[in-house]
Order: sequence, then structure tokens, then C-alpha cells
Amino acid sequence: MVEKKLILSVRNLYKKFSRDLKYNLYYGVRDIFFDIMGSNQQRTGLRPKEFWSINDISLDLFAGDILGIVGTNGSGKTTLMRIIAGIYYPEAGTIHKLPKKKVTAVFVLGAGLRPLFTGRENIYIEGAMYGMSKQEIESKMTFIEEFSELRDQLDRPLGNYSSGMRARLAYAIALATEPDIFIIDEALAVGDSLFQTKCFEHLKQYVQQPEKAVLFVSNHIRKVLKIANRVLVMNSGQIIYESTDVKAALNFYINNCLQDLDEDIRQVKLKKVKNYNL
Amino acid sequence: MQIPNPDNTRQLELWHSYQRAKGKNGWLTLVQNIRNYSYFIRQLVRISFLKEFKRSYLGLLWLFILPIISAIIWILLNGAGIIKPGDTSISYPAYVLLSTSIWGFFVEIYKNTSNTFLAGGKMKLLARFPYEAFIVEKVIVHILRFVIPFVINIIVLLLFGVRFSWVALLFPLTLIPLLILGLSIGLVVSIFRVLLDDVAIFIDQAMGFLMFLTPVVYAPDIQIGFLSQLIHLNPLTYLVGFSRDVLIKGTFYEPGLWSICVLLTFIFFVITVRIFMIAEPRVIERLIK
Repeated sequence: MVEKKLILSVRNLYKKFSRDLKYNLYYGVRDIFFDIMGSNQQRTGLRPKEFWSINDISLDLFAGDILGIVGTNGSGKTTLMRIIAGIYYPEAGTIHKLPKKKVTAVFVLGAGLRPLFTGRENIYIEGAMYGMSKQEIESKMTFIEEFSELRDQLDRPLGNYSSGMRARLAYAIALATEPDIFIIDEALAVGDSLFQTKCFEHLKQYVQQPEKAVLFVSNHIRKVLKIANRVLVMNSGQIIYESTDVKAALNFYINNCLQDLDEDIRQVKLKKVKNYNL
Repeated sequence: MQIPNPDNTRQLELWHSYQRAKGKNGWLTLVQNIRNYSYFIRQLVRISFLKEFKRSYLGLLWLFILPIISAIIWILLNGAGIIKPGDTSISYPAYVLLSTSIWGFFVEIYKNTSNTFLAGGKMKLLARFPYEAFIVEKVIVHILRFVIPFVINIIVLLLFGVRFSWVALLFPLTLIPLLILGLSIGLVVSIFRVLLDDVAIFIDQAMGFLMFLTPVVYAPDIQIGFLSQLIHLNPLTYLVGFSRDVLIKGTFYEPGLWSICVLLTFIFFVITVRIFMIAEPRVIERLIK
């Protein structure tokens, strides 16, 4: 097997949150006070009402990977993605990546788009948010028009878009940043299946380019089957299973994480995995 | 787990960690961030003006129409004999008009920046960009919103025979310390607004009270018992008074004390920006939206 190039490496990542709003705010004031005082101690212990949202996670992402990340709600998937995208700071641990690689994340439903502005105006706003210049955005305009399949509708106010259209627009803008590490967090959960299929085909092509990889977060078993070439299963902030055998990982996920589910439904899901033709 | 080839690992660079969060916030980074995200800031400013008038036909024209309307009201009052133009010293209504707009310049930037986290919306949870962009946007919007009505006011005053000296041209520069002070207080309060709203609410109230401890609607030499003492201890007395006298009288009000206040303001600014940058990641993860 050809050795794959490592492009992102996460080591011993921790992140904690508080269950209680008031405690959370109090800890915030305290932590800021100690930060300002220059205290360098890393507070890796838990204080009352806190829990680990990310508990000692290490993972490697290689060029050409489409890494599926599955886990029940609240298992820490989105938090992990936000840390990798640079939005949240970890409590401890490191993330290394190849120099100059661009990380772009697209989260659920194109949140952050502005309803009173047209689709085209939103492209400028979101593109600028991702750090693109005016020229870069304009050079990508045709691509976004084509890929989102919105074309004429781009000049309508976004508030009139359906949720699928919004998702398509948000996805196309994120893609226009030409990410090297592309994080898709349930962003393809809405929209029509034709568009999704197109995205999947495109992603598979996309990661064939040198030094590109995708982190694909989803609870949708069929989607993960369709696209991932490696799967991580997360539970309570930890990676409990990892495999390049997508089917095995999904079997593990269904058997271990979905215990609350009715036995029948679980069997249906397991069958889906078993019968899926990769 | 696949073990990466060590040669391969060596090519990587640190992208994100707790220590990095604390170390990344130099002044140089701040300036670079603002430059790299200048287009984003422009977009934010644009949105901020446009969204207010999205549902109107006249749109941005309202930015000019509203101050002209208030100027017309002012002119009508003038016709009623409330304002006496042509006096050697400026009339009381003109004094109050200019004074309150100087005070407004200070207090509005405080209000805007102190709400920055709550007004910033969901955007910060979508991508990694420097939060300072929002602050710069607030400052630019604030200045533009001040300049338009202010220039219109000045034109009206000139038309009605109020004369300014050449020293008044220094007036824009004297606003800088007021901007910096309002911004600094706003930056600190913006943290409390998310984490400890009690402090923010208290300071909001205090700012309202502060206006009465600053000679805005009365002259600095007013005698009101022990409050007079407080007025003289209040740095805003000098910052606002200096600006106003430069504009209205063409003189410098208490230049010595003013210089000290300006110096202290800049030191305070350096400290608060640092605090803001240190606190920012901890505040952002507590923004529940």
C-alpha cells in the first residue's frame, strides 16, 4: 500500500463545558482572571458541574481521506469540528497541520446567511468571512452559480429560499474557498438527493487532488457508507472505534451507541449496512 | 490507529492549542488581522448600514434626511426666538446642541462595543476569523453615523450666523481620546455583558449618571455643592470640555489636565485591548445562540 501523506494531526485533545449556565459563566470570569494574571497552569481537572465534551482525542487525517465521524447527539462531534476549524480553543492538546493548508468548515443549514440580503450579496459576506478577497470571490462567482444550481435565483432575497437552497448555497460558498481540509458537519442533511449525490461524486474527485482531505460528520448511516473511506465512532467525547472498514465501524456504532433504539429498527439499520454495495 | 511516519510528522506546524490561544494575541497580529480581513470589515460595515434600510425605498438617503429634519426643527425654534444668533458668545441652545453631540460621540461608541458579542450573531461559530473585525466595524460605523448629522448641524449653525474660529479645525482630533475611552470601557463591558451581566447593567446605569457629572448641559464652573468636586475629578469634564471649547470658543480648556487625561486614556486603552484579546476565546465559547 502506498503510504499516505499526513496533513492534520490531533493529539490528546481535551475540551470541557459546564452543564449549568451560571457555573459556566462564573468559571468564565475566573478563567479570564487567571489568564490575565498570567497563570500558565492548564486546568485539566473537572470542577463541579463540568464534563468533558472532548476527552483525550487523537486522530490523524491523511491526504485523500474522507473521514466519516459518527456518534449520537451530544457525543462531541461538532465541538471537535469547531476546535479543528479553529473556532473553539482546546483545554489541552495540540493540533498540527501542514503549513498553509486551508481549513474550511460548513455547519448545519447555512446558519449565518442573512435573510434580507440576496443570495449574491450573501456570497460576498460569507466569502469575506472565510477570509477571501473581493477578487477571489468574484473569480469564484461562476463556480458558485453553477455548483449551487441557483443561477437566476441568486438575485432573490435569501429569506425566500427553501432550506435546501440555503444549504446548497452555503455548501457552494465553502467549497469555493478551495479548502485543503474540508469539514462538513451535517451540512448535507437537507436538500434534494440529486444534489447530495452530486456533492458526493464531487467530493470523491476533490480528495483525489494532492494533499486534500474531508472530515464528514453525519449520523446518517447511508451517507457515511456512500462516501467515507474511514470511520471514527465517537461517544461521550471519546473515539471508541476507528476503522478503514466502514461497514465494521458502522456495525459497531449501531450495536454500541444506539442501544436505546428498538431492536427491530436496529436490525433494519444493520441490514442496510450489510447489504450496502460499496 | 495508523502510526504516521515520523518524517511526515516533522513537516507539520502547530495550528491550534491552548498555549497558542494565549500567545497569539500580539499587537502585530492584531494589525495583520485587520489588514487581512479588511474586505470582511467592509462587508460588515455595508451590512450594518444596508440592513437598517432594507425595507425602505429611500434607503441610505435616510442617513441625510433625518438630520436635515432635525435641523429644520431647530431652525423653526430659532424663528420662535429661542436662539439668538450673532451674539459674541454662542447661545445656550447651540451650546447644548454641540455639547450633547460630543457626549453622544463618547457614549454611543461605548454602547456599540459593549454589545459586540451579543450583536455579533452566529457568525463567530462558523469560521475562524479575528473577532477584532467586529470592533473595527463598530468604530467605522460609529464615525460615519456621527459625521453626517454633525456636518449638517455645523452648516445650519453657520447659516444662522454662528461663527467658528480656525482653531475649530482641530476639533476632529480632539474627538480621538473620547473615542478611545468609550471604546475601552465598551471592550471590558462587552465581556461582562456575556459572563456577568450584572456588572454590565450597572455600568450602563453609571454611564447615564456620568452625563450629569460632566458639564454637558451646564457650564463647567457651575456650583452645585459637593457634586462640583466630583465634576472636577471626572476626566470626562476635561475631555469633553476641551473638545467643546476648541469647537465653540477656539480656546483650550485646561490643557494640562486634559493632556494627563489623554495619556491615561491611551494607557487604559492598551490595557483593555489586551484584556479583551485574552478573554475573547473564553467568551466566545460561552455565547449560547
